[in-house]
Amino acid sequence: MTKPSDYPLQDESKDYCIYCARPGGSMQSYPEKLEGTVRFLIRTQGIDEKAARELAVRTLAKLPAWKEQTP
Amino acid sequence: MKKTARQLQKEQTRELLIKTAFEIFSERGFLSTRISDIAGAAGVSHGTVFVHFPSLDALMAEVIEVYVGKTAQRTHELADFGQTLREVLRAHLDGIREYEPFYTALVTENRQLPTQARDAWISLQSVISLHFSRAAEREMEAGKILRMPVSLLFNLWLGLIHHYLANADLFAPGGKVIDRYGETLIDSYLKMAESKRS
Repeated sequence: MTKPSDYPLQDESKDYCIYCARPGGSMQSYPEKLEGTVRFLIRTQGIDEKAARELAVRTLAKLPAWKEQTP
Repeated sequence: MKKTARQLQKEQTRELLIKTAFEIFSERGFLSTRISDIAGAAGVSHGTVFVHFPSLDALMAEVIEVYVGKTAQRTHELADFGQTLREVLRAHLDGIREYEPFYTALVTENRQLPTQARDAWISLQSVISLHFSRAAEREMEAGKILRMPVSLLFNLWLGLIHHYLANADLFAPGGKVIDRYGETLIDSYLKMAESKRS
């Protein structure tokens, strides 16, 4: 996160970025973020749903905000 | 807390190994590179590499994450200023340009790479597809380009670029594909995607 617009509602005190925020600025839950990531991979890259889900789980497990919550 | 001379040296050696491995992977590809090639080029012992990385796969994953991260960050910054699909495509190519031989090795070998390395590669595509999809959807809405699933439009673009890069020896022997064909590929792709309404 390098500029104010990278933060939810441009609030630089947050430790998560706009892509992990709900429209109101609060942080998404793990299931919300996982589902959003899967849908994003399918919609923008056409990846198969099962492959997209496995990829999303591995990707979130590496991100600071989500690694504790990854099953 | 101030770092000790030993800690600093350890960090410097790790950075040297990542930089050296990046150069060798760019030149020879990933699968034909051995730990001994990297150790020799970095001027360190074989054992020193294992002090920092438990395996060649781990070193490979680290190098790919570092340089894919740089490419993604560069593309993200450039594309952030781009509103049109043309500007996003140009940002994509500018992001590749700096590390073209390394990116090309990823294009040709990514299926054979360890999962962690391959995931980093797909993460880069996700950064591009985020900016691409936003611009493409705006232009579809405005009737500037043909309506079709954004994933298909994105994969057509990637297929075009990756084909030229994967066969760089035929398209730009001794040179750079993006420098030589970048603008032509953008123009031709957008011409194909153009809507008759526009």
